[in-house]
Amino acid sequence: MNQKTKRNLFISLGIILVVVILFIILILTSPKTSKQSTQSTNSSGTKPAPAAIVNDVTNVPETTLNAVGIGTANNKPIPIKAPNLLANNKPEVLYEGAEFCPYCATERWAMAVALSKFGTFTNLQETHSSTTDVYPNTQTLSFYKSTYTSNYITFTPIEIETNISNGNGGYTTLQTPTKTENNIINKYDATPYLPSQDAGAIPFIDFGGKYLIAGATYNPQVLQGKSHSQIASALADSKSPIAQGADGAANIIIATICKITNNQPSTACTPLIKEIEKNI
Amino acid sequence: MGLNKNLKTISYLGVIFSLLGLADSIYLTIAHYTAPTILACPESKFINCAKVTTSQYANVHGIPIVFLGLIFFVVMIGLQSPMAWKSSLRFIRIGRLVFSSIGLVSVFGLVYIELDKLQAICLYCTGVHVLTFILFIITLIGSVFLDNNTHSINAKTTKN
Repeated sequence: MNQKTKRNLFISLGIILVVVILFIILILTSPKTSKQSTQSTNSSGTKPAPAAIVNDVTNVPETTLNAVGIGTANNKPIPIKAPNLLANNKPEVLYEGAEFCPYCATERWAMAVALSKFGTFTNLQETHSSTTDVYPNTQTLSFYKSTYTSNYITFTPIEIETNISNGNGGYTTLQTPTKTENNIINKYDATPYLPSQDAGAIPFIDFGGKYLIAGATYNPQVLQGKSHSQIASALADSKSPIAQGADGAANIIIATICKITNNQPSTACTPLIKEIEKNI
Repeated sequence: MGLNKNLKTISYLGVIFSLLGLADSIYLTIAHYTAPTILACPESKFINCAKVTTSQYANVHGIPIVFLGLIFFVVMIGLQSPMAWKSSLRFIRIGRLVFSSIGLVSVFGLVYIELDKLQAICLYCTGVHVLTFILFIITLIGSVFLDNNTHSINAKTTKN
């Protein structure tokens, strides 16, 4: 290698080094990666859901659910081999989501419809997903502050963040999983239980340690531009895209819960649901 | 004019990384046109492919950026081929360097948009960015060796 070539090589390496330094400066000075002081307010961008909306969501007629079947729902539950997940001597349905999350916003409608077949919600909240994320401002429910009672399952919702910006590109903290809950989430919301592209995803639902759902079970697009009351009332119209999505997903969730409750109660685990169970 | 061992290695590496980039770009292009099927929020909230690929910044004057990435790697495959490295045509030699530099500058812009405007990154896009940077390095180093290769051949020719 002659002198000129050696010189050119050093110059090239110098250019590469400068480029690397510029990238490092770009990364370090970005709002997301610069030193953050996360504001943890525990306040949520929610308000109690009106009675009419709660009534529509928790009383979707059986005829509608039967007419929809699985509708346009996709994203089937994933069976796993794990110890039984129990709480209060009942199979536990553990949910982790966040109020900013548009896919969580989508899934909560289906979850509320489904869980209402096994128990009773009180103090359901209404909120919306982030206005700056995909599927912005999706109107939804929130499980934060709600209570759920059932003879068949224990429902444990954890909404980890609000939809309120923390000023650093993220959202304020809302609820923190317990150590046990965190261990479960860290273990099962990951490979090999989930495909790598879904690992760490929310919404994450663990059904009694037997099935997992990661992500929304139907397309969030059907909810775009709709108000809470429009979505809630559309759930009863089997032909509406909202019912096809949310009720279809609800039927899949109902079938999954029926699998862990030995098809109890019979009012929830209907012949249609038992048919759906065969494909889970 | 033949290629010396270093340049052969440079060429093969260039083609391999260009093919990898092309594969990544094809995936992103398909995802762009068939609507994102990623129906989940990543736990980190920072890694969010759907947010990046469906943002207002995903198009340049109506042309999807994924499509521009596809074109970039298709052209790079040609420019990194042994035939292109062997070529004595000045516009190919300089064009390769300029083209990879344009790619690098674009990466800077896209990374800035991800970090500053969207505050989210897309892992597949990051893959494309890394491959573009690697191709820039390969092209730069290769151009140095190309000079050396040309000089040696000229020296041999003169001697003969």
